[in-house]
Amino acid sequence: MISAVLDVIGGVLLFLGLTLMTISLYGILRRPDTYGQLHAQGLATGPGVIAVLASSVGTENAAIITFAVLAIGFVVLTSPVSGHAIARAAAHRRRAAGGRDAAR
Amino acid sequence: MYNAILFAALVWVTLLLVGGGLALVRARDVLQRVIAFDSLAALVIALLAMLSYLRDVGYYLDAAVALALLSFTATVAAARYLASGGPFG
Repeated sequence: MISAVLDVIGGVLLFLGLTLMTISLYGILRRPDTYGQLHAQGLATGPGVIAVLASSVGTENAAIITFAVLAIGFVVLTSPVSGHAIARAAAHRRRAAGGRDAAR
Repeated sequence: MYNAILFAALVWVTLLLVGGGLALVRARDVLQRVIAFDSLAALVIALLAMLSYLRDVGYYLDAAVALALLSFTATVAAARYLASGGPFG
């Protein structure tokens, strides 16, 4: 009973994570400017990876779930920092080039 | 979890990796290449996690955590270098 429930939760989380990554990749391919691509990329590196790692509950393996929780904590800490660094670099480059639409 | 679902998910992520390579090739700015590289690293992390679920061993997640650390360091270093010309500037 509980095993079937965990299977379903893991499958749903896996599908959700893959869907988020697909949407994010579509956004990266479609957006013309750096800020728009950064907005789309935050969806894959944050919630997409977290959902895929959280789907480890479906395996019912204690070692795998522990490492997945560790990786989730690491992603939660690092993903906003790297996004902020890229956005700061883009703003700095646009300011250095001068004008609103200098950084494409 | 059913192995067929995991196999389909692995195929899906492999197709997404091809799309990420396309985004890397199509980038016009160096920061867009950094963004595409970061998203490729996230895809490989997901791929390693799914490989770990499929083989039912936890060792692949070690590699996933190490890859997350390396990609974070590389992204922050490249972004700070592009912003100010030095890693501590």
